[in-house]
Amino acid sequence: MKKSTSQSIIALSSSALALPGIALADAPPTQSTISYKISNYQEDDLSRSEAPFGELERYDIDVHQFQLVTPVGRNMSLQVAANYESLSGASPWFTSRGLDGQPVVNLSGASGINDSRTEVSIGGRYYLENGSFGGNVGYSEEDDYRAVYFGFSGERHYNNNQTTLSAGFSHSSDDISPTDAELFNRVREEDKRSNSVYISISQIINPVSSFQSALSITEKSGFLSDPYKLRDIRPDDKTQIAWSNSYRRFFVSANAALHINYRYYHDDFGISSHTSDLSWHQNISRAFRVVPSLRYYSQSSADFFTNIDDFSTPNTEFQSSDYRLSAFGAVSGGLSFIADMGTWKATLTAERYVANEKYSTYNVTEPSTALVKYSRISLGVDFTF
Amino acid sequence: MGSFCEIQIFDESRIHAKKIAHQLSAEVSRLELKYSRFRDDSLLTQINNSAGNQTGIKIDSETQSLLEHALNCFEQSNGLFDITSGALQKIWDFKKGIIPSQSQIDKVLPLVDFHKVSWKNSYLFMPQGMQIDFGGIVKEYAADSTARLGKSLGIQYGLVNLGGDFSVIGPQPDNKPWPIGVSNPKRKHSPIATINLLNGGLASSGDYERFFMHEGKRYSHILNPKTGWPNSGLRAVSIAANLCTVAGSIATIAMLLNEEDAKAWLQDSAFPHVYMDSEENVSGFALKEGALN
Repeated sequence: MKKSTSQSIIALSSSALALPGIALADAPPTQSTISYKISNYQEDDLSRSEAPFGELERYDIDVHQFQLVTPVGRNMSLQVAANYESLSGASPWFTSRGLDGQPVVNLSGASGINDSRTEVSIGGRYYLENGSFGGNVGYSEEDDYRAVYFGFSGERHYNNNQTTLSAGFSHSSDDISPTDAELFNRVREEDKRSNSVYISISQIINPVSSFQSALSITEKSGFLSDPYKLRDIRPDDKTQIAWSNSYRRFFVSANAALHINYRYYHDDFGISSHTSDLSWHQNISRAFRVVPSLRYYSQSSADFFTNIDDFSTPNTEFQSSDYRLSAFGAVSGGLSFIADMGTWKATLTAERYVANEKYSTYNVTEPSTALVKYSRISLGVDFTF
Repeated sequence: MGSFCEIQIFDESRIHAKKIAHQLSAEVSRLELKYSRFRDDSLLTQINNSAGNQTGIKIDSETQSLLEHALNCFEQSNGLFDITSGALQKIWDFKKGIIPSQSQIDKVLPLVDFHKVSWKNSYLFMPQGMQIDFGGIVKEYAADSTARLGKSLGIQYGLVNLGGDFSVIGPQPDNKPWPIGVSNPKRKHSPIATINLLNGGLASSGDYERFFMHEGKRYSHILNPKTGWPNSGLRAVSIAANLCTVAGSIATIAMLLNEEDAKAWLQDSAFPHVYMDSEENVSGFALKEGALN
């Protein structure tokens, strides 16, 4: 055969899918699914050399996630979600120069932080003949933070479902009211807004592979600084752009799939980053799957990052010692086990993440002393009825 | 459909299951009445009787979509899968085992060329003497269409089998795939392989049902539309795919290719399949879970 077989098969599938008895409207879920997931995220504690005084224990977060997706009528689905997070530990308060002249970290609070976050959201989706559209609204609350958000998105299939175009918009409006504001001379009441748009295209290449590319732009404005740091002054406007790509390939002989993702990010604080990850989804049998994954991340620093807070500069000059604004790289590895018994499905995932300025492909002039290492473990159960 | 048909559905209510089974078998009958070559009152017979008619014949959108799929099969197989091969079947008598003369074949060959069929604004035109046969397409389509109807009526577990063309409505009631036994062309009741089907469909094509031997040479009813002579490639093919219609098209094309090309075509399709070659050796591959046995 001169033509490639996979192209021939796509052509045959396309015309078969266009047959009236086979062509079917984009389908909403026909069954309800309840999901529950518990995760523990634990940052490694600092050593005494990194933080000579005060707290060493960083964040330890437990997350409970609950979700229900259910069909409503013939063409709609409803999604209700609730999250509860409990958080303890401490975050970097300020950085200073140690006795040896090297920067050291001072963690917040004598007894650290104890907080919880509750989030609820509800969304709906309407399914048309060759696409769907939907929206969601949500609310999130912590002691010192409240956010209200909503979003819309739509997708449409073309080319006999071989190509899908989707686009969406989301908005979030957040209020920040730091605790002990008077005591520590923190800001009392601030707010920020965020608007985001995205557009995405996904294409089925042949029966065993597909590609997706998406572009998103986010505009944030308002109070973008960290109110708990002694000195953290950031611009009150930020534009972020992210370009994400993913490729999926199924290997019939191995009964496994390779997922490759790459993301480029840039914002006008001066941060650029590359994220690439690889995962191998190996089916052991029809019911069991193992997924090892590996991720590499590298970012440049924000223009105003400093690893030693400078209290001598005027309050109008941008500066932050937030480690997330420094130049660094990170490597993480994970392993998931999935058992799919039809009506119920369980997923156990373990992940280890290590950030280090040496891993960055960018120029590191001031390495942060507060980079994190963390471990995360989660167990999720889905029940369909 | 001129063969053994079976619809298995599972539902909590027996009455509901029965009602749906009736609706599904009505869908099979509808397509049989419409596209049977052997019924005088079918739309297909009317279409074939219209050959040579200058004003053409009015066709509906379903027939038009089937023709579009047939055109795709024709083009993707470089003209080997040709639904206008009907005229050739008439001069080859497989029951009596008579080989037509080359001049007979040469006379009929101009009547076999799907590119000579045209359809425009719901009207179909084809030259005098040409015959359309939806073999390899319509039974498979009926299986998919029936399974799709079952799904849209809320059936979660079920399987449609139209004479060896299978389309899955949903898994078995315990969520296991359907084990489909591929029978040995020589010994009907001893399966040579099992392909486990969780979704999509499975279709088979073979030359074992109609062939004759003449002076030690085997003449199969799989006729090459370009030469007018029987093809001597694979003996039988079964393949699973995303749709029974797609599986049927791949299987029919495999039977029309020479043996080497057919093996490569099946292998490259990446779908689970099993075939018997001219030496009667069985090979193929399936996903691990649905291993051949």
